[in-house]
Amino acid sequence: MAEHKNNILKKIWMPAALFVLALILPFIVTEFWVHVLNEILILGLFALSFNMIFGYMGQLSFGHAAYYGVGAYTTGLLMVKANWPLFVTLPISMVTAGICALILGYFCVRLRGIYFAILTMAFGQLVFYIIFQWYSFTGGDNGLQGINPPAWLFKTNPYYFFTLVVVTIGAIILWFISESPFGYTMRTIRDNTERTEFIGINVQRYMLINFVIAGMFAGLAGAIWGPFNRSVAPDLCSWQHSGGPVFMAILGGPHYFLGPMLGSVIYTLLNAFVTGYTEYWPLVSGIVIIIVVLLLPGGVLGVYKEKFGHLKSKESTTLEHGGS
Amino acid sequence: MEFSFLFSQFLSGLTYGMILFLVASGLSLIFGVMNILNFAHATLWLIGAYFCYSFWYLMQGYNFALWVSIPLAGFACAAVGWVTEIVLIKHIYKRELHEQLLITYALALIFADLIKIVWGPTDRLIARPPAIQKPVFIFGAPFDSYFIFVILAGFAVALGLWWFLKYTRYGHIVKAAVFSREMVGALGIPIPKIYTWVFTLGIFIAGFAGGVQAPIGSVNLGMDIAIIIQAFCVVVIGGFGSLLGTLVGAIIVGEVFSFAILYWPAGAMVLIFVITAAILIIRPWGLFGTPMRT
Repeated sequence: MAEHKNNILKKIWMPAALFVLALILPFIVTEFWVHVLNEILILGLFALSFNMIFGYMGQLSFGHAAYYGVGAYTTGLLMVKANWPLFVTLPISMVTAGICALILGYFCVRLRGIYFAILTMAFGQLVFYIIFQWYSFTGGDNGLQGINPPAWLFKTNPYYFFTLVVVTIGAIILWFISESPFGYTMRTIRDNTERTEFIGINVQRYMLINFVIAGMFAGLAGAIWGPFNRSVAPDLCSWQHSGGPVFMAILGGPHYFLGPMLGSVIYTLLNAFVTGYTEYWPLVSGIVIIIVVLLLPGGVLGVYKEKFGHLKSKESTTLEHGGS
Repeated sequence: MEFSFLFSQFLSGLTYGMILFLVASGLSLIFGVMNILNFAHATLWLIGAYFCYSFWYLMQGYNFALWVSIPLAGFACAAVGWVTEIVLIKHIYKRELHEQLLITYALALIFADLIKIVWGPTDRLIARPPAIQKPVFIFGAPFDSYFIFVILAGFAVALGLWWFLKYTRYGHIVKAAVFSREMVGALGIPIPKIYTWVFTLGIFIAGFAGGVQAPIGSVNLGMDIAIIIQAFCVVVIGGFGSLLGTLVGAIIVGEVFSFAILYWPAGAMVLIFVITAAILIIRPWGLFGTPMRT
């Protein structure tokens, strides 16, 4: 019993410490950095949702920004054109992003590997061009302006705490999903798709459900981005934006639940620092990406666990020997 | 609608298709031989366009300036590709798919910013030589005379590649490497060297294509972003590693785009993605490809 308790403590101390840190920080740092923290949280949720497909299911989606964009536009359109309150639009955004992921994912889960990556990318661009071209509805490349959160959330700090609550709830739900039997089925599919099929699991259906879940939470992340940024633009859906979570997951460590969130912390902070000094952020981020991919296998958390972890985590071992 | 108009629309589509073919053939060649989907390909194509502009700028007093600049752009890009392969790409052949994709994606970001540093953010325009300033009339409909050169250049590269793969010793080695690199290696042919030169050849074609593109409109930042996805579409429709497939795929995409613009302008791009998705679902290996080895 005591050991069991100890285990839970071990699992929970880091997220709990991060949460407390996230609670305290806004009272210490300047408004600019609260803004950055807000971005970290939203992109972190986006990357966590992406990692459901990448880290847990073993497929690379290069069009995940599409669902983020659909969520952002749903909230934006409902708030600007129909004057709906923010809280009502959040679940609706999750549903529309989920429906979008269901329709597109239905086709994507038939493919694996490079074909999966290209199809998700093509569908992502499809969504991008629909939003980009549909002037009368989405405003085309002008985007949507004036997505104002309610008065009591209008200032930087309140909105930050609102984001913190939403992202934390989202992350907890995703964590429970990833630790559920469903989550373990995902790991099985990742480690050996063929054997999973042999034991009678309908792989495509499981993958589709996971794809929809990932899409919904990407939609939620997008939905809180719009009011945070006060506007949305079609760029949110473009393939360049889809590269973000891919890198965050790999940077932080795709084999750990909080890896993508850590990736978001590093990536977004770096972005905030670098853009203060130079306009050549893509150049810097490109160099960082190359260094991380070549030198940090398993991401920051992977390297950390290898160097400082007493026990090698269960997951990294299954991954290394998976598929053999 | 008149026949002459439709025909000139068809030729415009063919021109666009040829540009796409020139971009996609190098992409397909590199993927076919080394299994790397090069995200940075279109950015190298754009560098080719800028190189072409610079060479043309240096020689602009002469009538032949443009015609010399286009192949020179190819060679300059090939040099960039060669260095890139030696320094970076070489180390990722045995890596996993997502690492390869992310590295070439990072390369695209880096090259795009390097273009901005070297050539600046303003658009660059090449003044055409007198020979191609006036349109030609085909069945009475005006047609940009430079487009004829583009179509010819596209077919010339297609023929050249076909001849190379079919009739030269190195072409045979490349084709064999697509089938089984272990066997080719076992025969004593240095695979790393072959990879370096195939990559360089692919980038040469991309640079040449950039040179061909340069005089069509202005050369500007961000052109690579739109075309890379379309080049992926072409390669998917035709089939990875298939030259004929890439040609057919490019013509399909070019023509669909050209005619969709007439009847449903907003949906032109959407239609291309729908076709690509349909092909991927029905035949992931494309119209002319073969199912992938694992």
